[in-house]
Amino acid sequence: MTNFTDGKELKINTDVLVVGGGFTGIKAASEISNLGYQVTLIENEANIGSQKEQKTLVGLTDEDHKCLQEMESRVTSDKRIEILTKTKIATIKGMPGDFSVRLSNNDNILEKKVGAVVVANDFSVNSLNDKYGLSLSDNILTQSQIEEILVSDKEKLADKTVAFLVGLAQETNPLIMERVMRTVIDINEIDGTATYIYTGNLKVASDGLERIYKEGRDKGATYFKLQEMPKISQDGKIVSYHDPVLRRDIEVSPDMIVVDDEIYAGKNNADLSEILRVDLGAGGFLQKDNVHRFPVYSNREGIFVVGPGRDVQKLQAAWMDVENAALEIKSFLGNGIKIVPDNKAVVDTGKCVFCLTCYRCCPHGAIYWAEENKAVISPLACQSCGICASECPMDAIQIGGFTDDEIKNSVKKSLDAKNEPKIVAFCCQNSAFEAGEMAKKFKIKLPDGLKMIKVPCAGKIDLDYILNTFVEGADGVLIMACHNGNCKSEKGNIYAGWRVDDAHRMLEETGLEKERLRFVTLASNMGSGFSSAVAEMENKIKEIGLSPLRN
Amino acid sequence: MSTENKKVMVIGGGIAGLTVAWELSRFNISVELIEKTCFLGGHAIQFCCKATDECLQCGACSVEDMLKKVADEPNINVHLATEVESINKDKKFAVSLKKSSLLTDSEKLNESGICYEESSLKGAVLRGYSKNNTPLYVILDKKICDDNPGAVPEGAVELDKMGMSGTIEVDAVVLASGFKPFNAEIKETYGYRKFNNVITGLDMERIKREKGAIVRPSDGKEPQKVAFIQCVGSRDERLGNLWCSHVCCPYALRMAENIKYKNNESEVTVFYMDIQNAGKNFPEFYEKCKLNQRFIRNIPVDIYPMEGDQLRLRYMAEDDGLPVEEVFDLVVLSIGIMPNLENSSLAEIFGIELTDDGFFAGKDNLNRTSTSKSGIFIAGTAEGPKTIAASMAHAGQAAGEVMKHLGVS
Repeated sequence: MTNFTDGKELKINTDVLVVGGGFTGIKAASEISNLGYQVTLIENEANIGSQKEQKTLVGLTDEDHKCLQEMESRVTSDKRIEILTKTKIATIKGMPGDFSVRLSNNDNILEKKVGAVVVANDFSVNSLNDKYGLSLSDNILTQSQIEEILVSDKEKLADKTVAFLVGLAQETNPLIMERVMRTVIDINEIDGTATYIYTGNLKVASDGLERIYKEGRDKGATYFKLQEMPKISQDGKIVSYHDPVLRRDIEVSPDMIVVDDEIYAGKNNADLSEILRVDLGAGGFLQKDNVHRFPVYSNREGIFVVGPGRDVQKLQAAWMDVENAALEIKSFLGNGIKIVPDNKAVVDTGKCVFCLTCYRCCPHGAIYWAEENKAVISPLACQSCGICASECPMDAIQIGGFTDDEIKNSVKKSLDAKNEPKIVAFCCQNSAFEAGEMAKKFKIKLPDGLKMIKVPCAGKIDLDYILNTFVEGADGVLIMACHNGNCKSEKGNIYAGWRVDDAHRMLEETGLEKERLRFVTLASNMGSGFSSAVAEMENKIKEIGLSPLRN
Repeated sequence: MSTENKKVMVIGGGIAGLTVAWELSRFNISVELIEKTCFLGGHAIQFCCKATDECLQCGACSVEDMLKKVADEPNINVHLATEVESINKDKKFAVSLKKSSLLTDSEKLNESGICYEESSLKGAVLRGYSKNNTPLYVILDKKICDDNPGAVPEGAVELDKMGMSGTIEVDAVVLASGFKPFNAEIKETYGYRKFNNVITGLDMERIKREKGAIVRPSDGKEPQKVAFIQCVGSRDERLGNLWCSHVCCPYALRMAENIKYKNNESEVTVFYMDIQNAGKNFPEFYEKCKLNQRFIRNIPVDIYPMEGDQLRLRYMAEDDGLPVEEVFDLVVLSIGIMPNLENSSLAEIFGIELTDDGFFAGKDNLNRTSTSKSGIFIAGTAEGPKTIAASMAHAGQAAGEVMKHLGVS
């Protein structure tokens, strides 16, 4: 189902660069090598895998650790995998299927050509003691420190009372929670210990975690759910709080206090984001919180983000990501030959003045320039949103199946029909168009005079289209886009909204009522929502009358 | 290695099953997709968009997208109204299928929590939730339809004519049979199905999807005072449900934001034990929610009916522990994800294990899509509670494991 003409064969590079030498990156290298592709695995630090400091492996059995070690030795001896430590990406140029990467290792620069990139860089982990106003000491410990004691010096905890602070300084997550809960169980198995866990919201949305919580309580742990942080003396000897169950102020004197960690995006992420031209999402992760990106897509074709690179998650979930990425790599790289359509997005070099507007506004990093100083759009990387086409000041870009002529002709044809009032709705194919089809199929009431014009993304809707549609005789025009944060091209809906604002100003100047033009956001499953929006426009037109531009 | 002649059976046409089917079909593997009801999409296709002035990443539209992709994919053979009867494992799996009895067995239907929107011929014709369902209309009662031929929607198919019996030989099987929503009637003091304006989270999704807004069942008006009761059926020691269902806090908070956005004058109260994270930007989202919604860290036990179909809730005040009563005009029970009814029989048929909680057991900690039986895989909420995004990721992993098993990676 494509608007594209058949194209030519394009040979692409099928080597893959994996960024990050933790267990997620190692698994990625393993899976991708098993598919038959050459892998270069780079790691910032001096060590990979088990030699790297692992702060976020939790709930793994001895079996699991054996499995990790086996995988690590397989990967280090795999001839298809080149491992480079103390190495990071300096620059990356080119397009998917043909990336030119410069890797820097101390002062050495290594040039590589790859077809795709998988980003698996690790989290950062930080103790939250500052947020509790505490300094670490002999009796004020981090989660990692108490875990270390349980491994090397368990008896030190005999007869001790240990207080845990978790999820109070800030909302926590199931990964941190599981570490705390498992530690609590371990401590309760030592003679004479007592554990008090002071918590905000307990995060138990993880397999088996509710049972682990219960096990801790069955073994003697007491969980206190507080609404605010307890007051703790600087020496950590006195903890005061209001007990919500006893409804009294309480003071306890634990022997040790354990402060929770926060997990956040890796320190390199901001740099990687700039180098790879990949959007940074919430919390600094290399993936926006946009459902179209799940599970492992970034905004750029050929660059995938897995595991700790994209979210706080356990190793099991990170490995789930890796297998998804492996399938994507297999689908994208294939056997190294892609059929590339001719007309996906075409730059008229006669019109192009090399202003680089398209390069800057492309949300998918699909545009570059060639020696002739003209913009070039990679057919492999382009996702046909059309933002470049509508931003181009010279109208030098046409999108296959949605050229300016094609759209203008659709509009003209739609206004030939007899039904009144004439409402033209430009509908994004990912959301509004589907919602409109849903309304039609479910026989939800729609205005007789409504015509839907499909666009690949609301970002394709040129200011010209809007004004032209009124000139051609529309009584009302709707620009129907995806909700903010749901645009497949991240910002197509934002661009569309700006153009509607511009159009509103122009309409005002001409004396045409602003209400004739509306910007609406929808999702693909909102048949009722579509119907309400178009009905509202119909009612408004009935109120203010047909367009004065009609002769 | 060639993928020709490789065939995989995917049991369950919900978001996980659809995702596995589509992922495999991308590599030219032939898929037999078995669905016990007469519509693809499972529970998740029934969910609504919850956007305020921005998307809240619930994933409902992702299900719509995936269903459309599967509907357009020729490599996927869909068998609706069909269940698994038995399996004969030799070199390949010979799976015997039978026509589903689910929809004609009203007790089973009620238990499973599936019910479909009915079109104008109430009780006689079912309609799928998505425009991508084919067929969209299914005739349950032929006689009523024969008596009203003009009212029967075009393209409607008789249920009797759907479903297949027979044996299909496949190289691997993926169990993506989904979950059962918690039956809120078990919590008798909430009066579900007795009081008009006590609804479940699933009812709420269906109402919004159909009507475009959340309205009270009693009078179709938008509510002014809404209560969400969290953890209904989940994290419940007395019922033996020792798990968090992952999805209830996210769907409740997102819906609450939507209600406030549509009607800022309304008041929304969330009764909870512990609020779970929703989405990747939870701290910021939670701050917004705390401005718009009332959070009370207490689960009400009793609901009493009042005039005007309002509801009186009784709970313990946080500060002094004394009972408080408050009147709401809509109460939403945030029900959780329970193991599906068929899990034990499917586990027996395929020779795999269930966890203590009744979901299918993954082989080991690091691989939750493989089971103890080679060639049998699991995906989605059949393995345990998951969000839509997590189900899709799990399904992708299952597809990858299937391909390794088939030797076509």
